[in-house]
Amino acid sequence: MKVTLRTDVLTNNNKAAEFNRELFESTKTLVINLMSSPGAGKTTLLEETVRALSEKYRIAVIEGDLATERDANRIRSMGAKAVQINTHGGCHLDARMVAAALGEFDLDEIDILFIENVGNLVCPSGYDLGQNHKVAVLSVPEGNDKITKYPQMFMRTELVLLNKIDLLPYLDFNVEEAKQDLSEINPQSVLIPLSARTNEGLHEWFSWIEGAYNRCVQQ
Amino acid sequence: MHEMALMGDIVQLIEEDATAQGITKIEKVELIVGEISNAMPDALRMAFEIFRDQNLHFFSQDAQLVIHTEEAKAQCVLCGTQYRPRQKIALCPECKIPSGKLLSGETFQILSYEGSSD
Repeated sequence: MKVTLRTDVLTNNNKAAEFNRELFESTKTLVINLMSSPGAGKTTLLEETVRALSEKYRIAVIEGDLATERDANRIRSMGAKAVQINTHGGCHLDARMVAAALGEFDLDEIDILFIENVGNLVCPSGYDLGQNHKVAVLSVPEGNDKITKYPQMFMRTELVLLNKIDLLPYLDFNVEEAKQDLSEINPQSVLIPLSARTNEGLHEWFSWIEGAYNRCVQQ
Repeated sequence: MHEMALMGDIVQLIEEDATAQGITKIEKVELIVGEISNAMPDALRMAFEIFRDQNLHFFSQDAQLVIHTEEAKAQCVLCGTQYRPRQKIALCPECKIPSGKLLSGETFQILSYEGSSD
């Protein structure tokens, strides 16, 4: 007996993502899914973001890593609520893991939730977590060819934060070429060059967040 | 091993449906895998064999996985040219501007399964 299903393999993930999305919408929480390769500086960027914006917004962070509580501890030391998900070898966060972690938060008490995905430029891009925005972090030492080498990540993110621009004088990263490549993969995407270490360019990221938050609460 | 997790989802979805249909032994599974769906056919085949061999109460020993590849295609919204997107997915090869939209290639579906109630 043959049964035709035509069911998306990620059906269960997508159901959980919808569950999350409804929760985020009903509590007017802005949710940003932050993705990058390991070492691009997601956690440092979040530390600086929490430092700069926590007087204005109530911020929480979900940290995804294979192991350890280190990143969540770093965020907590900045005064924000953080929950660590350890995937124990899993290469990405899925919507069910996020749904389980949401039990640790009172979303009514949170304005902005950052989800720091597992460091990986491949798998996380395929999983809807119910977020409002997917944002990629790319760092100068990785080289500007990563945008064309991992098009499936950059075609799905609407903002690329180019981190560690304080290293530009020492490395061969070509920012114009990166912008050009990005526009040819995803013309809607925006690239913001910044450095979480020197704070250069961070104001532009913060205004982007502010705009996204205002749109989120007006919906 | 992303594909192991994906195969876990596939087996679970089939198991749920088969149970509802009264099917107890699976002989064949057919998938549609888009070229830019983030799933690798070879890794899926390997994952399928592992799941099958560990679940012989549900899969017949020679149960097979058939993968239909869905080509990635894009079309320029300005000139209408259809093309196979490579790295620069949105770049129209005719206009040389990023005016292309994906038509296919992201699908990742269970097309069908075959089994019996023995």
